Amino acid sequence: MTAAAAVAAGELDDPALVISTRGLTRRFGELVAVQGVDLRVRRGEIFGVLGPNGAGKSTLIRMLCGILDPSSGDGRVVGFDVRRDPERIKERIGYMTQRFSLYEDLSVEENLSFYAGIYGVARRGRRARIEEVLAATGLGPRRRQLAGTLSGGWKQRVALASSTIHRPPLLFLDEPTAGVDPVSRRAFWAQIHRLAAAGTTVVVTTHYMDEAERCHRLAFIFGGRLLDEGRPDEIVARSGLRAADLDLAGATAPAAVMDALAAHADVMGVEAFGHLARVVTTGADPIAIAAQVAPGAPATPARISVEDAFVAMVRGEEARA
Amino acid sequence: MRFSIGRIAVITRKELIQLRRDRMTIGMMVMLPLMQLLLFGYAIDTDVRHMPTVVQDADRSAASRDLAHRLEATGFYTLVGEVRDYPEIARAFRSGDARVALVVPAGFAAGLTAGRPVEVQLIVDGADAQTVASATQTAAAVVSAWSAELRARGGAGAAEPLTLSSSIWYNPDLRTAVYIVPGLVGVILTMTMVMFTAMGIARERERGTLEQLIVSPVRSIELVIGKIVPYLAIGYVQMTIILVAGAVVFDVAFVGSWGLLYALAALFIAASLALGLFFSTLARTQQQAMQMSFFFLLPNLLLSGFMFPFEGMPAFAQALGQAIPLTHFLRIIRGIVLRGATWPDLVPEVAWLAAIGGVLVLASALRFRKKLG
Repeated sequence: MTAAAAVAAGELDDPALVISTRGLTRRFGELVAVQGVDLRVRRGEIFGVLGPNGAGKSTLIRMLCGILDPSSGDGRVVGFDVRRDPERIKERIGYMTQRFSLYEDLSVEENLSFYAGIYGVARRGRRARIEEVLAATGLGPRRRQLAGTLSGGWKQRVALASSTIHRPPLLFLDEPTAGVDPVSRRAFWAQIHRLAAAGTTVVVTTHYMDEAERCHRLAFIFGGRLLDEGRPDEIVARSGLRAADLDLAGATAPAAVMDALAAHADVMGVEAFGHLARVVTTGADPIAIAAQVAPGAPATPARISVEDAFVAMVRGEEARA
Repeated sequence: MRFSIGRIAVITRKELIQLRRDRMTIGMMVMLPLMQLLLFGYAIDTDVRHMPTVVQDADRSAASRDLAHRLEATGFYTLVGEVRDYPEIARAFRSGDARVALVVPAGFAAGLTAGRPVEVQLIVDGADAQTVASATQTAAAVVSAWSAELRARGGAGAAEPLTLSSSIWYNPDLRTAVYIVPGLVGVILTMTMVMFTAMGIARERERGTLEQLIVSPVRSIELVIGKIVPYLAIGYVQMTIILVAGAVVFDVAFVGSWGLLYALAALFIAASLALGLFFSTLARTQQQAMQMSFFFLLPNLLLSGFMFPFEGMPAFAQALGQAIPLTHFLRIIRGIVLRGATWPDLVPEVAWLAAIGGVLVLASALRFRKKLG
């Protein structure tokens, strides 16, 4: 490559980047599902892709996996061009969906062995690798159980084990914890962080905002465009939102108080959590507003979550449209 | 809880809405009775006509040609060519080119003129027992009518100046099992090959495992071959079971070459698998795949010559039948099993089967790849 070409390619070829895209766009007829997305995901990062349904998340992921050609723009994933080398990409990624695409009529071990074969895990190392994965996920005692008879949490473990059986440097998780109980979700995220610490890059789409906060970095997708990108705390800080919890246990008409709060010009939203009303403002002091609207009700400052930032951003976009 | 008409109505309404959205099922519900009606009512005519007939004319006289034309005038026989000797008749039967042969001896015309009793021979392929009786009866009627004519003219001395002797080749006992058993191989293969393939892939789609495979490095050609190889083996096992059981239980002797049959069966199985694959790209669920396979089975049973003689069908039904792989496989397997047909006898049927199979494989590969991407 000439020096000029290297400059033109810019960061796309940065070896520290596992994913880098420039102006990635996909049209379906008239519809622009993904529009001009520039993305940079570094090695070992857990990268969350957030967005409402139909925002273009899966179209973006499908392009990154090499199963859908971009209409325009460039992308490099695990060092290969999404347009020219999709097959090389497919060999080097893991992919797991909320459906836990397992063969329900195969045992845990048979599923693992199948995917090991599909992903070309060398025959000699295959046995050992399966044993290793079984041990790491605690699936050893259930190795002969049919996948269809496992509970949601266990199926999830098998699905994760299957999609990482070939030690992919990059793992895509599409809403991986939908329909899984909280205990299993924690175990699952612990496992994801272990993988990331060992160098695996993880791209995860999710609707659960508590999960979004477990990511190193986030991208907000809306209407096919990348609205914001950064660490969860950066995104929260950039939103400029403030929040307070208002205890309405002693209030005579809590519903009326909440309506009055919601009607306030500076209030973005009010939500009930039992007796608490959580007031989020677009920057104004929520405690002052609370004192004004509901004098006497105790108010304490509250933390702004990624969810607040997300909702504010979506509302802002919807208002603009 | 009380019995509630209202609740029933709600459920009925929901079913109707779901049904309306399931275009495939609706289409089949409308098409099935229509097809049944047309196929049974129209195409299926068990009265046989236009039996392909060869003539071995050793006399080469105006009288011998007259006899052949009298036979053809009944509408039952269609003259498809001349042969010189018995081996050529056998060859025509083996390849399925002819089902009937008329043998006129030398001295036929001279004998008639001199008033000597003359005998002509009708040879019928007995493999399809259904057609044999009418084939011999019709010819016998023509011959005895002519004989009566000659007698009336009074020139002849003999009591019966012209007689017909008939003989049946292959399956002289006229047992139906002999015809049905090899045919059944074709029907069973069609059913299982099409249905298993269609359902096998629809199942992967339904469970989401197909999506998982799409993001993997597996190529669609690898997926397809990997999936059909076991079915191919199953197909051969089924074929063997039917033929062996047919020989043991129904005493259907295998006349021809096993090797040739097994080699040519691969072509038919491939065509059926391709069709199943094609269905799988249309069906979203296993249930739809199953419905489609059954839907497809019907014309196979009716138009291929499995249940009703192919020669008896009107032209448009025959044209439809020609497009069905089973039609050609039936001719091949019956030819080999019952009449000991060899490779040269079967070339035209093999060419048909290869052409249809090629189109199916191409169409399903293109569609399958498009659906996967």
